[in-house]
Amino acid sequence: MRWIKSLAAAAIALTPALAPNATWAQTKIDFFFPVPVDGKLAREMTRLVKVYNDSQKEVAVTAAYTGSYDDTKLKAQAAANAGKPPAVVLMSANFVLDLKLAGDIVSLEPMLKADGTTRAKFLDDFWPAVQPNAIVDGELYAIPYQNSTPLLYYNKEHFKEAGLDPEKPPQTWAQLVDAAKKLTKPDRMGFGLPEGYDYMGWIMEALSMSNGGRYFNEEYGGEVYYDTPSMLGAAQFVEDLVFKHKVMTQGVVEGPALSTNFLAGKVSMMLLSTGSLSFVRENMKQPFGVAFVPKNVRNAVPIGGGSLVMFKGLNDEQKAAGWKFAKWLSSTENLGAWSRFTGYFSPRKSPYDTPEMKDFMAKNPEAKVALDQLPYAKPWFATYQTVAVRKALEDEIQAVLNGKKKAPQAVKDAQKSADALMKPYVDQTALKLP
Amino acid sequence: MRPDVKRTGLVVALLMAITTFLWSTPFLWTLVASFRPETAGGIGMASLVPDFTPTVENFRNAFESGDFVVYYINTAIVAFGILAVQIVTISLAGYAFARLSFPGRELIFYVFLLQLMLVPPILIVPNLRTIVDLGLYGSLLGVMAPYFASAFGTFLMRQTFRQIPRDFEEAAVIDGAHWWQSLWHVLLPMAKPGLVAFSLVSLMAHWNEFLWPLMVLNEPRTHTLTIGLAMFALSTEGGREWGLLAAGTLLVMAPLLLLFAIFQRQFINSFMFSGLKG
Repeated sequence: MRWIKSLAAAAIALTPALAPNATWAQTKIDFFFPVPVDGKLAREMTRLVKVYNDSQKEVAVTAAYTGSYDDTKLKAQAAANAGKPPAVVLMSANFVLDLKLAGDIVSLEPMLKADGTTRAKFLDDFWPAVQPNAIVDGELYAIPYQNSTPLLYYNKEHFKEAGLDPEKPPQTWAQLVDAAKKLTKPDRMGFGLPEGYDYMGWIMEALSMSNGGRYFNEEYGGEVYYDTPSMLGAAQFVEDLVFKHKVMTQGVVEGPALSTNFLAGKVSMMLLSTGSLSFVRENMKQPFGVAFVPKNVRNAVPIGGGSLVMFKGLNDEQKAAGWKFAKWLSSTENLGAWSRFTGYFSPRKSPYDTPEMKDFMAKNPEAKVALDQLPYAKPWFATYQTVAVRKALEDEIQAVLNGKKKAPQAVKDAQKSADALMKPYVDQTALKLP
Repeated sequence: MRPDVKRTGLVVALLMAITTFLWSTPFLWTLVASFRPETAGGIGMASLVPDFTPTVENFRNAFESGDFVVYYINTAIVAFGILAVQIVTISLAGYAFARLSFPGRELIFYVFLLQLMLVPPILIVPNLRTIVDLGLYGSLLGVMAPYFASAFGTFLMRQTFRQIPRDFEEAAVIDGAHWWQSLWHVLLPMAKPGLVAFSLVSLMAHWNEFLWPLMVLNEPRTHTLTIGLAMFALSTEGGREWGLLAAGTLLVMAPLLLLFAIFQRQFINSFMFSGLKG
């Protein structure tokens, strides 16, 4: 039993040192950030926050790495509930509406007013496509921070082998199917999509939008357009790619597995986030190219990525400190540097006028394609219960990929589940009549 | 008959070998992949056969991505700290439920057991609130506190104590022992198998726990291994660097694996020399 004694002694000796520090005179705030791209980002973010803390004395920011976007949401809400709201959180851009409806985050309008500016002036430097996800009910609730869109990645070597022009990637769904058929070999698939949760919904939004659709009502959180011709076309297209044209793997392929297959030359073309550009560039041995997401009706892609939000329950000093820090983090200089480091594009336009960015774009022409696609970008779906409503569609499309359901039935069932999920909100809003 | 017996033995051995191999495949793959150079997506990435010159590059990258030494210390403090307190609380509580008689003993015991039915995530917010009220938010002690009492451990110790015949304690009492002396000198040594089994389960659970430490801890200097590992594992929008992931996984599980390998004999022996058999 001696080991128990020594363990107990060690525990008692250690505990006083573990108690939290005494409070400082300066304003202490918490900043939560997820790392959806690469572990190196956590170090870079920690370094950035240190630079900020060293640059001034009034605010001390504690930067906490908080897992995935979903974990970050869970932690931020739990902390706020327990009376320790984080001042600033880097949150998935399409959680903003949901968080506002749940009453978790604060409007940034009072801070804009205190600064003597307006929403229009503040947002002037941000790309139009990233703005809708930051605004709820006509008020600013978030500052866009890191953004992405889907891109078509293709293997130039494979294009040459198949007799395709490596400088002319497919621009329409018809050309995509045609090229994918030529590229498919016994040990190689012509095309691939990331089909895990979160990614699948985003890709279906890209496909339905390229098919002329809207996916959701940008102005109202209680409507999604799943059982529509544009979504049916997108779902049928996915089904056909697997079962009719046989150019895509049957079953659900997760994003990381897809990019691994692409790097290994097992898949010749894929749709993936611009956020993966740096990763593919660093690890791909064969030459690759990127292009716009092919269209059926029109060019359109959803925005993805993260925005900075501020939580409820802060005192006035913490609020002011959080706002100051969020503004610093989203400055032209910092957004430019973050974009170059991560591969996300900067939601601000001004970084692209700086010499560092011009230099970077000249060296990395693929990053330019992502930027050129921006004028066609649309907001990311955001509804009441965003995650559950998204899963309602994802589960059905995954069933299609597994060969368990046909596309027409899948979109009908997805609509039914989504409507049921949003019913409480709809009953309280659009159907609440005098 | 003899050749038949031999053949059966051979078949059993073969089946065992196959099962063992299947069972250990994930571990073997992790081991191989962690030493494979440029594992972001080479053709042979999925291969179990080490067809390359081993490199420690992945481990170097893993170490650079986070302060693993600090994570090790923190994880060890959390896992062993919880265990140390638990052993005290579950022995005392188990003793009370097994040997002392007081009104409402059975009822209190069943209320205790009800805790086992709760799904831990439900308790995240209430627990976090308590931790904040106690001033332990953001500290390792805050991660440990909710686990200081264990319903499962109390149940296990109660059952273990009840299996020990009262004769042993009565002998001690005749010699003038207090209840705590008979608990310490008589009951606990005989309950060693129960304690060892519980320690294994507890250590493993808290070493590998992710969600609760993530909820409580903020500063990188307080992070545990699982939070450090999540930095490579949860990058959904980027690609997956399998080699780095394998190296990180190996770093997280190595200490427990070593611990078990070293103390395996003691673990098994403790079950055999407890003085009570069957």
